[in-house]
Amino acid sequence: MKFTDFLTKECCVMDMAAPTKEAAIRELADVLKAQGKVIDEEDFIKHVMEREKLGSTGIGNSVAIPHCPTKSVKGVVMAFGRSKQGIDFQSFDGHEINHIFLMGTNPEDLNIYLKLLASLAKLLNDRIFRAEFAAASTTDELIAVFKKHEK
Amino acid sequence: MGLRTIVVSIAGSPGSLITAKYAIALAKLLSVKLVILYVVNIKVLQDLLKSRIFVDVEARVYERDLEQQGSAILERIGRMAQDKGVAFESCLLKGAVSDEVLNKTQELQADMLIMGELKEMTSRAEVFYDEGERILRRCPCPVVMVKNPAMVEALYKEIG
Repeated sequence: MKFTDFLTKECCVMDMAAPTKEAAIRELADVLKAQGKVIDEEDFIKHVMEREKLGSTGIGNSVAIPHCPTKSVKGVVMAFGRSKQGIDFQSFDGHEINHIFLMGTNPEDLNIYLKLLASLAKLLNDRIFRAEFAAASTTDELIAVFKKHEK
Repeated sequence: MGLRTIVVSIAGSPGSLITAKYAIALAKLLSVKLVILYVVNIKVLQDLLKSRIFVDVEARVYERDLEQQGSAILERIGRMAQDKGVAFESCLLKGAVSDEVLNKTQELQADMLIMGELKEMTSRAEVFYDEGERILRRCPCPVVMVKNPAMVEALYKEIG
């Protein structure tokens, strides 16, 4: 299972327009919907926002990973967005978020989803990966960084 | 001294059913007891809690869901074994997959462990950390890795 099997350049937004958490989640959900990966977009967003109420998915280092299991998506889905202006995600470290990974899974694919989330956590824990990932300016460069580090 | 117990480790992946079918066929042909293992991967939940991606209540919900999925898989495979007249026991375990499978295999003094094919590895690090690799390297008994689904399906049908 490779990370880039799930994160494709078509699902990456390098300059998000959304000014708020909910708008950002919606912007990335739109991308997934356009790629045919979402069955019911409103239900997906509703589940992601309900999860956010339990505690912010802003995990530090200006990264947030809003996520949820829901029957409203096809398999395991993932979109990435970069916000140059920064978004208030009520992150635990109090900083604004610049990098958002929106993830969802159909409950049947829970095991794959959990492994993927764990792989992402491991990558984001790596200082070198974070530096290269932040420096990537195009979707091609971004995917290349993931490919390099998942080796 | 003949064989008495075969253990099969089920991961819940799409290939698991093929692994289970081979284990049932082998248990039937060798007239041995089959122990079916499913491990709820608690370690991955703990890792996600530690990295702040999950909150406590969420991790508990995932754990419950994984347990339910595991029970459903064990029930299904148990029915398959029963239909083929194979004596079996199902075990739902929780923890790190490789540790749980190895401990149970040791505890049962199993004669053979059957597992699914290893996933494709892209790096040495991945090989080092892969749960399947760990089982393969440290298992105290012979390990059979199931391949060739078409052959398995044919064998499974043959055993009646």
